[in-house]
Amino acid sequence: MAFVAEQLLNALALAALLFLVSAGLSLVFGILRVVNFAHGVFYMLGAYLAFTAVTVSGQFWLSLLLVPPVVGIVGALLEASTLRFIYRRPPIYQLLLTFGLALILEESVHVLYGPTAKGVDPPALLQGSVQVLGAAYPRYRLFLVVLGVAVGVAVWLFLTRTRAGLVVRAVAQNSEMADCLGADVPRVRTLVFGAACALAGLGGAAAAPMTTAYLGMGVGVIVDAFVVVVIGGLGSFGGSMAGSLIVGAAQTWGAFYLPETAMVIMYAVMGGILIFRPWGLFGQEE
Amino acid sequence: MTLARTRALAPAALAALAILPWVLARHQLSILVDLLIFGLFAMSLDLIMGYTGMVSFGHAAYFGLGAYGSALVLIHFEPPIPVALLAGALLAGVVAAPVGWFSTRATGIYFAMLTLAFAQLLYTVAYKWRDLTGGSDGIAGVPKTTLFWGGPSLAERRTFYYLVAVTVVLSLLACRALVRSPFGRALQAIRENEHRFVSLGRDSRPFKLVVFVIAAAFAGLAGALFAPFRGFASPEVMFWVLSGQGLMMVITGGIGTLVGPLIGAMVFLLVQEILSSYTEHWMIFTGAVFVLIVIFLPGGVVGAARRWFEARA
Amino acid sequence: MNVMLETHGLGRAFGALQAVASVSMTVRRGELRAVIGPNGAGKTTLFNLISGLLVPTAGRVVFNGEDITGLSAPVRCRRGISRTFQITSIFPELSVRENVRIAVQLKAGRNFRLFGGRALLEPTERRAQESLAALGLGDRGDVPAATLPHGDQRLLEIAMAVAQEPELLLLDEPTQGLSPEDTRATVEVIRRLARERRLTILLVEHDMDVVFDLAERISVLHFGQLIADGAPDEIRTNPDVQKAYLGEAD
Repeated sequence: MAFVAEQLLNALALAALLFLVSAGLSLVFGILRVVNFAHGVFYMLGAYLAFTAVTVSGQFWLSLLLVPPVVGIVGALLEASTLRFIYRRPPIYQLLLTFGLALILEESVHVLYGPTAKGVDPPALLQGSVQVLGAAYPRYRLFLVVLGVAVGVAVWLFLTRTRAGLVVRAVAQNSEMADCLGADVPRVRTLVFGAACALAGLGGAAAAPMTTAYLGMGVGVIVDAFVVVVIGGLGSFGGSMAGSLIVGAAQTWGAFYLPETAMVIMYAVMGGILIFRPWGLFGQEE
Repeated sequence: MTLARTRALAPAALAALAILPWVLARHQLSILVDLLIFGLFAMSLDLIMGYTGMVSFGHAAYFGLGAYGSALVLIHFEPPIPVALLAGALLAGVVAAPVGWFSTRATGIYFAMLTLAFAQLLYTVAYKWRDLTGGSDGIAGVPKTTLFWGGPSLAERRTFYYLVAVTVVLSLLACRALVRSPFGRALQAIRENEHRFVSLGRDSRPFKLVVFVIAAAFAGLAGALFAPFRGFASPEVMFWVLSGQGLMMVITGGIGTLVGPLIGAMVFLLVQEILSSYTEHWMIFTGAVFVLIVIFLPGGVVGAARRWFEARA
Repeated sequence: MNVMLETHGLGRAFGALQAVASVSMTVRRGELRAVIGPNGAGKTTLFNLISGLLVPTAGRVVFNGEDITGLSAPVRCRRGISRTFQITSIFPELSVRENVRIAVQLKAGRNFRLFGGRALLEPTERRAQESLAALGLGDRGDVPAATLPHGDQRLLEIAMAVAQEPELLLLDEPTQGLSPEDTRATVEVIRRLARERRLTILLVEHDMDVVFDLAERISVLHFGQLIADGAPDEIRTNPDVQKAYLGEAD
């Protein structure tokens, strides 16, 4: 029983991280129709900036609050200076542009921080473990689950209950009409892109105490995020949640029972979805 | 019009290829071989990208498979190099078949990311299967053997160069014949309007699968040349960065022209070579140049050159 | 076989919306039949059901005596049903001639010839050129299809379908977006093609002048149901049809 609870919580913690990253990826696709190949690198940027912030200030909570907006601003600036000009081109150019950005960012981090991984200490409150259903469970992982749920609810509320969220959804449905009706479409795009990067940055900052900040964490997470989004459906927020849970569970149990083949299981699930339901569990049938 | 110009330039290019090994210094010839090998890699990617409209983020996996296949065959059996080339290309093609079958069930970005996921999977296998692949160290000491049984040794740098040059030129000719064939024309129609293609009477998936395997085989051929040339095969050659560089080479040169990506690869690698002698962090500049090319020169270097020539005509 | 196409109780629902409901119609060989109806009546859905782009939720489609309900769109095309689309769907960067040539190649087969280039393409090129000439596009073969004006692109669509030498030709709003002169020219082309090639044509149209000019029989759809089916004069005076169009002048 304790074991099952522990595995379940591990899966949820992993799912929370995946959700933070894949929600942003899914948002950018649903609203901008762009797959941001650099998304994983913003995750990495969040982790490294968290390292800097915590090392300099000693304040974990403050860092967690400040790092995402900074990452978001970096993303917004990049979008406004590059991606903005090529929205009308065939999608491959946008894909390749974000790939180029990914290279620039990844190497910049390498320049600034060097090749070794950077550890981040969690705050005293989240250190150690707590008894959950008979097992000693790391507090930090519990925190991740709570964070994931909180962010999920917040974004959903924003999209469905606020005026700004309505504008964002309108642009997603039909950007030309939204433009005619007075929405500043380029600005909405920049803001959404920045927000998605901020989410990824939050994911990275939150992950850093658990995984350390290391080069290449971007690529690992974007492939995972993409598996999540394929399973859940590109552009579907609910899909990101469902997909994160499925992948989190598959990786956790896979890592335990079949360590060498955990990845294969994930790809098998993805392959299955692509064969029987290519638009994902919650996506729109095209 | 540009076809005529290409025809005019071809003999000059071939002559240059034939003479260069006697003109260039050792180090420079080595770079040229590198350029040709990756040129072939980029050209194979153009088959699926430029002609069929499928963006693959995992093409390096087939280059890597070719390298490992060739390396293993050469280390264990020491046959003439062409046998190793065949082995590498075959291994790449055979693995590409199931991957392609799965991946072509998706289109657009789904397809792209599927190819990345599969490539990462293969990379992980190469990294972890120490017994076969040597893990992160890879396979070292790959020999340059002979041209055919009892034939001339390819250890001499000029001889190896000619093998590479001939292979690349023949591959270019084969790919050109392919894109001009009924099959190749069908691919281009798929790129232009897949929905219309299907409504005109054929399922597009078999076409996409076949070209995917062919492109993988040519990438494998490039990798199979790489292993004996450099003397090793390692997981880096399967890493996503190489896939991305392949895309950059294709865009730099001019998508959908075959020759363009070949030239694009050469330009790209030359720039990289020059930049890396100045700074360890040349990737930033490469990324920046690439971003600029995507924004300002969508037709690539070849496209821009064409427009420049046409403006003067 | 005098009857080319039959639909038996054909229906298609999208969730709660019944786009096409219980349509039973018979099209004879050589007939020029128009399908009309107000916006949203289900005309294009009906076409998609016949050509195979949509799977019906009820009923059957019988073509030349064969039940083709289970067959996919590419297979139906090879059986002899070719179609055009309401929104022009061509291969933009390919040349005009290549657009038609590909249509010929895909129908004829031998698509997996990997080598052989020019020699293999010539017979299909000739047939493509013939179709282009029949549609008045013979001199424009070499330009990229995207550079054609809208009216010529609509003709190119027809050329592609006709080049496949179908038995049944489905034309989805061929005069959509055309000027009056282009409309007249297109009507002439369709009439001539029907006569010369003895095609059976099923035509969706909004332009009533075109409909009454060309059609031998007219089927009227309203809210997905077939409400009238007969000669142009009968349809013109049919009260149900008049009501459906809410005062549309005849």
